[in-house]
This record gives sequence, C-alpha cells and structure tokens, in this order.
Amino acid sequence: MAESTNATLTTPEQPAECAARRFLYIWEGPVRIIHWVNFFCIIVLSVTGYFIHDPFMSAAQHPYIMGHMRHIHYVAGVLFAVSILARLYWFLGGSYYASWRAIPNPFNRKDRETFWAYFRFYIFLGQKTPHLLGHNPVAFCAYTLLFLLFFLQILTGFALWAQADPGSTLYAVTGWVFGLVSNQWVRWFHFMVMFLVAGFVINHLYSVVLFDFKTKSGEISSIFSGWKPDHRD
Amino acid sequence: MSDFRELLDSHNITRRSFLKYCSSLGALLAVPAAMTPKIAAAIENDNRPPVIWMEFQSCTGDTESLLRANRPSVGELILDHISLDYHETVMAAAGEQAEASKHATMEKYKGQYICIVEGSIPAGADGVYCTIAGQTAVDILRKVGGNAGVIIAVGSCSSYGGLPAAYPNPTGAVGVSDLLPNKTVINLPGCPMNVDNLTGTIVHYLTFGTPPAMDRFGRPKFAYGKRIHDNCERRGHFDAGQYVENWGDYGHRQGWCLYKMGCKGPESFHNCPTLRWNEGLSWPVMAGHGCVGCSEPGFFDTMMPMYQRLPNVPGFGVEASALKIGAAIVGTSAAIFGAHGAVTLARNWKQVREAKEETREEIQQTIDADSDADK
Ligand code: HEM
Ligand code: SF4
Repeated sequence: MAESTNATLTTPEQPAECAARRFLYIWEGPVRIIHWVNFFCIIVLSVTGYFIHDPFMSAAQHPYIMGHMRHIHYVAGVLFAVSILARLYWFLGGSYYASWRAIPNPFNRKDRETFWAYFRFYIFLGQKTPHLLGHNPVAFCAYTLLFLLFFLQILTGFALWAQADPGSTLYAVTGWVFGLVSNQWVRWFHFMVMFLVAGFVINHLYSVVLFDFKTKSGEISSIFSGWKPDHRD
Repeated sequence: MSDFRELLDSHNITRRSFLKYCSSLGALLAVPAAMTPKIAAAIENDNRPPVIWMEFQSCTGDTESLLRANRPSVGELILDHISLDYHETVMAAAGEQAEASKHATMEKYKGQYICIVEGSIPAGADGVYCTIAGQTAVDILRKVGGNAGVIIAVGSCSSYGGLPAAYPNPTGAVGVSDLLPNKTVINLPGCPMNVDNLTGTIVHYLTFGTPPAMDRFGRPKFAYGKRIHDNCERRGHFDAGQYVENWGDYGHRQGWCLYKMGCKGPESFHNCPTLRWNEGLSWPVMAGHGCVGCSEPGFFDTMMPMYQRLPNVPGFGVEASALKIGAAIVGTSAAIFGAHGAVTLARNWKQVREAKEETREEIQQTIDADSDADK
C-alpha cells in the first residue's frame, strides 16, 4: 500500500495515513470548514431569526436594533447558502467519504447489515457495530433529512426576502413558493424549521459523544483535525 | 361635445382639472406623462364598451367603496359615466326590465363589454346558495363572464373566495378565476377594493385595450406591486425597534410599529399606504390598527389570528401557536435523547462495575502468582 499523506488521493482502500501510526485522513479541509461555517451560521441565524419573530429587545437597548438584526440575518443567510452549495459541490465531486460514493446502498447486503447493526444499537437491541470510517448509515439518513431542511430553509428565506421587491430576479426565482402555500404559512414553516434544526442539534451532539465513546472512532476530534483512528484489522 | 364633457360641465368641473386628474391617474398606473391626452381621449370616447356589474355572495362593500362619494370628484364621474349599464344594487330598473337591459347589452357588445364581479360564487350544492332570476350564480357568471371582453373581480371574495370561503366554507365559495380559468380575470382584492384602483384598471383597459401588467395572483402590479410594510409610514419604528406592546400604551400613542400586535403588513401587497382611503385621508395602519392582510389570496384563514404574527395550527385540541409547537419539537428531542443517555449511562454503569471486578480479579491473580513465585 502506497504511503501517502496526499489528501486528494484518498480512496476507501487507501486513505492517507498519519505520521502518528494508524490514523487515516477522512474529512478534508473543505468538509471541516463547511461544518464550522454551518455551525456558526445556524447559531447566528437562529438568534437573529428568533429576534425577528419576537423582538424582545427594543430601541431603548440599542437604536436601530431590528434593522441590524435583519441585516445580520440576511448576511448570515447568504453565507449559509454559499456554504450549503459548497457542500453540495463537495458531495458531487469531493473525496470518497464526503461524497455520494459513500451512500449506503440498500441493494447491497453488507450495507444493509451495517445499517441494521447501527439501528439495533440505537434502540438498545444490539451492542456490536461494525467499524466505519465515514458516516454511520443511520446518521447518514439523519443528515440527508437535515440537508433537505436546509434547502427548504434557504429557499423560503430567500423567497421571504424577495417579497421586498416582487419585480426582482430573486422573486422570479423563488416566488413560485407562494403559489404553493400562502406567504403566512411560508413564514410559519421558516420559523418551524428553526426548531426542527434545534431538535437535530440535540440529537447530533448526543450521538457524536455516544459514538466517540462507544466505538472509539474519533468522531469528535475528526471534525477538528480530519483524522480518524484506523481499527481495520 | 361628448356626453362626458357635458357631464363635467354640469358639475362645474373644468377641463383643466379633468386633465389634472388624468395625469394623476397616469401616475397611479405608472405610465409616462405623455400618455395623459390618450387617457383623456379614452375616457371621453362615447363608443367605450359598457360595463356589467354583477353581485353575488358579498356584503356590498365594494359597491359602498364605489359610491363612497361625499362630493362628486372627476374620478366618480368617470365611474358614473362608464360603469352603470347594469348594476343590480344601484340601477333604477328592476325585475324583467333589468334582465332585459342586461341581455341587450350582452348581445350588442358580445366579447367587448367589461364584466365586473363583486362577491364570491357559491359552487357547493350545485350552486343553490345564490340564485338570481331562477339561475344560479355559477351559471350567470359562466354566461355573462364567458362572453365578456375582460373580467374585473372586485374585492377579495370575487378574487379568491374571501370571507365566505373561510373555514369551513359552507357554501363552497370560490373566486371568479376558479370558475373561468381560461378567461382574463383582473383581480382587485381588498376588503373592500379601493375604488381608485378600479378606476385606474378600467381606464387602463379603455386606453390600451389590454389589462394592466399583473402579478402571479392576477393583481395589477401598479396597485399590488409593493408590500404594505415597505411603504408604511411606521416602518422607521419597525427597523428602529419601537413597537406597540399593548393597545393604548405609550408606543401606540406615539404611532410606533404594530408588528407585535399582529400586523400583516410584511405579508401583504397593496397600495394602501400611498393611495389611502376616503379621498386619501387615512388607512388602517395610519389609524392605529395593524394590517389584516385582506388583499392576499387565502385571506381570511391564513391571516388569522388577527392579533398574532403567525397562524395557529388547528387540530391539536386547542389551536396551537407556532411557538408552542416549536417548543414541543425541541422538548421531544431533548426527552428522547435524554432518556437514551440515561439508559446508556445505566448500562455503562453495569459494564464499568463488571470491568472493575475483572480488573480487580486480574490484579489479585497477578499478586497471588507473584507471591507464589516468591515462595
Ligand atoms: C438555519 C437557518 C435559518 C434559521 C434558523 C432562520 C430563522 C428565522 C426565523 C426564526 C425567522 C422569523 C420568522 C417569523 O417569525 O416570522 C426568520 C425570518 C427570516 N429569514 Fe431566516 N432563518 C434561516 C435561514 C435563512 C436564510 C438562508 C435566509 C435567506 C437569506 C433567511 C431569510 C429570512 C428572512 C428574509 C426573514 C423575514 C425577515 C423579515 O420579515 O424582516 N433565513 N428566519
Ligand atoms: S405597522 Fe405593520 S406594515 Fe407598518 S412597519 Fe409595522 S409591521 Fe410593517
């Protein structure tokens, strides 16, 4: 096996190895950067979004507070959209573990067994989970749903924004949303997704701690460093 | 001299003020100032197509809006002049006579006349909830609307169903375009519509022979192309963070923003803030009440509760506010994963105890083995 630290050559058979032996490079720079940009954006968008929903501070605390909150929400929204698009790009053309090539195949027996092993583990019916280097398949399903929510949130966010100018290109691109549901329900949905994402965050934090501990797979450190321990024997 | 000139003269309205009105109408319609003479000519033309005004399931609010005159202005005279060939509520004729005049107009101006519809059309139970001269509203609309040159739906009811279509919509009320999907229908929603927008729409049609540019909901862009929120005189207070928190509080007396009182201005498109009502005197938000979003498709249901920002979700026993549902989502997630964590901890506890036991035994064995070796 070729000894290589070149990240771009990473394949499932030949992940780059670390100087510290038996570590493999799994999450490339872009994946980690996007993860933390999303982390930052979701916090900022949730705080400013909640403020837009219920302006609990008034001009007495800060003059022009709603204007600034909305400004920050829109800037973070654009950043978030760019970040999600970048992730989509990486999903299509990025490295093995971050791309579509690592999607569990429901027609493959081994993939199915892995999925059920993890599923049983989650519902306390099994203890053994096969060692994986990428996402575990149950988490992969959760991330798929999460990204669907992100797309809808970005779509509804830009559509709400476009209402300020129905003659704009932005409205031409996103306005069809209001043909499906009235704008009050679009706003309601945009508000509700915030809570769905918050519910996911609870799950996410809990699960990474659980698996980091249970499977010694370096879940937590890998999103900072990119390296995961190699348990393949 | 045209009939219309005579009408103006009889009200002592000079040609100068008529032209002034035409140029302000041009401004409303956002057409170049050079169009003013063309607009004036179109209004003065005696060969203009007639108008048939039909009223179905409505409160007559749009007719009220039409008749609101307390002094005849040029605008009202225009409407007097062009609109009243057949108008059930205000015409002098009644019964057979009225029907006959309607049919005569329809025959003579087939495919040319302007059909104005006020009120929703009850389509439930084969349309029996509203019948005139033995015919259902659905049939009348199909016939009169179907043969018109253009249809103008005035008010939210005829545009999208409006109040009669609110849940549970007992009469199966629908708007005009639902029944005549292939006709050009210009929607002028509002509860009621603003009569100046009607004048503008008719004059546009007379001048150019085409409906004005419309948005995705069939509303003329000149009147519904901007959000209330973006033209509202309280908008500065919105961005500044100055909100009315209670009716009659300090902020309310100061004219601050009504966002927290459930104002639907951020979701409503209409020119109320600029055109205003009652001869440009005032409009709801100016008068101190939030916008209720009356000119949006889906009004009434989607804009309620009136004093809350977002809709409630029915079907949870009591209606649930968006915030309650959101809190329930987060709470459920916390409960599920909290419970999972508790079970995991308990199981780990057992494993840790067993592991400790094993380790202790191993150490004991080593010690025993060592002491055996020492012997
Ligand atoms: C994780 C992502 C996001 C969260 C959690 C979030 C949250 C929220 C919340 C809670 C509201 C207030 C809803 C209400 O009560 O009316 C809001 C409003 C809004 N959001 Fe977002 N948002 C997100 C992403 C975005 C994006 C990507 C955009 C696009 C630029 C965007 C644009 C808007 C706009 C335009 C409004 C309405 C603001 C107004 O009316 O002044 N949001 N958001
Ligand atoms: S009063 Fe209503 S329309 Fe006016 S700025 Fe406030 S929220 Fe917007």
